[in-house]
Amino acid sequence: MGASAASAPVAAAVAATAPARGAAGAIARRAFLDGRVRTLSFAALFAFMAYVNVNGYEHSFPTLQDRLSFVRSFGSDASVKLFYGQPYDLLHVGGYVAWRVGGFGAIFAAAWGLLAAVRALRAEEDAGRWELLLAGAIDRRRAFVAVLAAIGGGAAVLWAGLWLGLVGGGLAAGGSAYLALAVVTQAFVFAGIGAVVSQVAPTRRIALELGMAVLAVAFVLRVVADTSSGAEWLRWATPLGWAEDLRAFAGPQPLVLLLPLAATGALLALAARIALRRDVGSGLLASRDRRAPRLGSLGSPTAQALRGERGSLIGWLVGVGLFALVIGVISTTFQTVRLPESVRRELARFGANVLTPSGILGFYFLFFVLAISLFACTQVVAARREEAGQQLETLLALPLGRRRWLAGRLAIAGGGAVVLALTAALLAWAGARSQGADVSLPDMLGAGANCLPTALLFLGLSALTFAAWPRATSGIAYGLVSLAFVWQLFGAALGVPAWLLGVSPFHHVGLVPAQPFKGLAAAIMLALAALALAGAMALFARRDLTGE
Amino acid sequence: MDAIHAEGLTKRYGATLALDRLDLSVQAGEVYGYLGPNGAGKTTTIRLLLGLHRATAGQASLFGLDAWGDSVAAHRHVAYVAGEPFLWPSLTSAETFDFLARVRGSDDPAYRDVLIERFRVDPDKKVRALSKGNRQKVQLVAAFASRADLLILDEPTSGLDPLMEVAFRETVHEAKERGQTIFLSSHILSEVEAVCDRVGILRGGRLVDEGTLQQLRHLSAHTVEVTFDGPTPQLPPLAGVAVAEAGESALRLEVTGALRPVLAALAELPVVALTSREPSLEEIFLHHYDATDGRVGG
Repeated sequence: MGASAASAPVAAAVAATAPARGAAGAIARRAFLDGRVRTLSFAALFAFMAYVNVNGYEHSFPTLQDRLSFVRSFGSDASVKLFYGQPYDLLHVGGYVAWRVGGFGAIFAAAWGLLAAVRALRAEEDAGRWELLLAGAIDRRRAFVAVLAAIGGGAAVLWAGLWLGLVGGGLAAGGSAYLALAVVTQAFVFAGIGAVVSQVAPTRRIALELGMAVLAVAFVLRVVADTSSGAEWLRWATPLGWAEDLRAFAGPQPLVLLLPLAATGALLALAARIALRRDVGSGLLASRDRRAPRLGSLGSPTAQALRGERGSLIGWLVGVGLFALVIGVISTTFQTVRLPESVRRELARFGANVLTPSGILGFYFLFFVLAISLFACTQVVAARREEAGQQLETLLALPLGRRRWLAGRLAIAGGGAVVLALTAALLAWAGARSQGADVSLPDMLGAGANCLPTALLFLGLSALTFAAWPRATSGIAYGLVSLAFVWQLFGAALGVPAWLLGVSPFHHVGLVPAQPFKGLAAAIMLALAALALAGAMALFARRDLTGE
Repeated sequence: MDAIHAEGLTKRYGATLALDRLDLSVQAGEVYGYLGPNGAGKTTTIRLLLGLHRATAGQASLFGLDAWGDSVAAHRHVAYVAGEPFLWPSLTSAETFDFLARVRGSDDPAYRDVLIERFRVDPDKKVRALSKGNRQKVQLVAAFASRADLLILDEPTSGLDPLMEVAFRETVHEAKERGQTIFLSSHILSEVEAVCDRVGILRGGRLVDEGTLQQLRHLSAHTVEVTFDGPTPQLPPLAGVAVAEAGESALRLEVTGALRPVLAALAELPVVALTSREPSLEEIFLHHYDATDGRVGG
C-alpha cells in the first residue's frame, strides 16, 4: 500500500510548496518514499493508540464517580505525569485521550520529524547523493524546499492516522482534528530542529545525537514543568509544552499554534541560511579528519566493534540511568487514596499495586524491559550495518570465522544489556532511597535482572532475522519489539482475551519488585532465546554475505 | 599444489546464472589476469574463492584448502582488496592498517612503511575524509604489506591516478619476485598486459579463453600494413587473409593463418614499407565480445 498511499499527500504537498517542476517533484517523491515505512508505522501506531484509549476510557470509567476518583488519584500523580504530561480534563473522554495520547504522541511525532529531516538532508548528503542532485538541474533552495515538502507530506500522513484513530474510536471529528494537529506540530518543530542539526553536524550520526539531545532537554523541561509546582511557566520553554497548552478537548487555545508555527519557520529559515552558504558535504562543525593513531581496542573485530559503538553505549547508559534515577525519586509521591473498583481493574491489568513505591517501580521497570530490548536490537542492526557497508567482507577475507564475528557482536549486545539492567536497578534504588522509600537493593537488582530474559529473547529474534533476512533486519527487529509492547500495553483495553495477549513476551514479565519473579516464563524465554541464537549462528554460517 | 583451483564452479542468484561451470587453476608464483567487462562474473568468482558466497555447484580451493568449508585456514594465506573500498569511516589509515594486521596475525611493518611512502598515504587521516582513490590505496597498502602468499585483487586500480598506477605495477613486480601469487581481476587491459603471466577472459559467467599472452595472440589475427610505391596493386586471393584499404597507396591485412604466402605474394610487388604487429590484448578481448554483438550476460 506504500506507494499509492504515499503519492497523494506528497503530490499535494509538492503542489502547495514548490512549483511543479520535474526535478523538485522527483526529489520530494524520492524523499517521501524513502521514509514511507517509518511514516506508515508511526501513523498506524498513532491510529491504534488513539482508538484503544478512547475505548479504554469508556470501559474503565463508566460513571462520573469513577472519573472523579481517577482525577484525584492517578491523574494527579507525578510519576504518571512524567509519561503522559499535564492532564486538563479527565472527566470527559476527549480530555482523557488528549492527555494519554497527546503526551506520548507528541514525543513520537517529535522523534519522527527529527528522523525524517536528518535522513532526508544529512544522511543523503553524507552518502554523496545530495551532491549528485545539486549537480543536476536544481539549485539548493529548490532541493531544500522539495525535501521539506516531502516531510510535510509525511506529517500529513501522521495527522491522518491519528485523526482516523480518534474518530474511529468515537470522538468528534473537529476536536479530533485539532488534537491530531497539536500532536503533529511537534513533527514540524523537530523537523526544523533536524534541518538545523543537519547543517551543523558533519555526519548523520552526530546530527541525530544532537537532535536527540534537544528532544531530551525538551522532555526534561516538560517533566519539570508538569511535576513541580511553581515551575509551570517552563512549559512555554519547550515545544512539548506547547502541544499540551493547545489544550485539545479541554478549552482549546488555538492561539498557541503561533508558537510552533513561528519556531518551525525560524528553524527552517536558519537551516536554509546555513545550507545556502556552506560547502556541500561539510557541516558547520568541522569533523576532525586527522588525528594521531589510537591503537587501543583494535586487537579483534569485537574490540573494534565495541570501540565503534562506544558513543551509542554511553548514550544509552546515560539515558537509562537518568530515567531510573528520576523514577526512583518520584516513586514515593503517589498519594494513597481509595480508588474505585474500575480504576483498580485498570491498574490490575498492569498487575501491580501502584500505590506503593515498589509497585510504581515494578510498573515502570516494564519500560526498562522495553528499552533494553530495543537496545539489543540496535546492536544487531549495527552488525547488519557492518555487513551492508561491506566492511564485513574485508573482515571475513581475513582468517576470521563467521561464527566468531557474530558471537562477538552478540556478546556486545548481551553484555550491554546486562550493564544497562544493572545501572537501571542501582540508580532507581538510589533515587528511591534518597526519598526514604522502603526498597531493598536485592529487590531492585532483581527488577534489573528481570529485564534480561525478554531482552535476550528479542536479541535472539533480531539475530535470527539478521541471519535469515538480512535486508529486513532493522524493520523486523524494531517492529517486533514495538508491536509486542503496544499489544501488551493497549491490548488489554480492547478486551482481547488473555491467551491472545500472551503472544507478547511482555505479557509474561513479572513486575518485580512488586510481584514475584516469574521463573517459568523467564526460563521459557531464555530457552527460546538460546534456540534463536543457535539458529542465527547456524544460518549465518551458511548464507551469502548480502550488501545494501 | 595450485594456489587457486576451481572445478565446475557455478553460482546462481535466483534466476541469474552469475558463474557457469568455471574451471580455473592458478599456480603458485603466477600473476593471473582475470578479464571481463562489468557483470561478467569476476566479483562473483572472487566471493566464491573467499567463501563469502556459497557455490551452487562445483568446488574451489586455495592451496588445497576448501574455499567454503576451510575458509579460515585458507585465509591465512590470502590478502584481499575489495572492488569497493569501503573501510571503517571512523578509523584513520594507520588505525586501519593496525586493525587489519592484528586480525590477520601477521604483517611486515617495514615494508608497510615503504608502501605508505610509495602510495603517498596520509596515515593520520580518517577514512571518512578520503576520496575513493585514496581509500583504494589504503586497501592496497594493507594487502601488500601482509606479505600473504596469495593476493586477490578485485579491480584494484579503479580510482587511482596514473602515478599510483605506476606504483601499483612496481609493487606487483616486487610481490612476483618474492614468489607471491596474484589474482588480478580487471577490465583495464593495458594493466593486465603489463603485469600478468597468464590471462583468462570471462564472458557471461563463462571462461571463454585462457592462456599466456603469447598463446592468445597466436589464435588471433596478425596485422600487416603495407605501403606501396604508387597506387595499391591487386593482391591475389589468399586463404585466411582479409584485405582493407588503408589510404591511397597502403593496405591493411588481417592474417589469421601463416604469414609465408602473404610474404610470397608481396615479394612480386613494389613494396616500400611493411610493418607487422601482434594483436593487442584489447583486440583479442574485443574479438571475444564482438562475436555476440557485444552483449554480456549476468
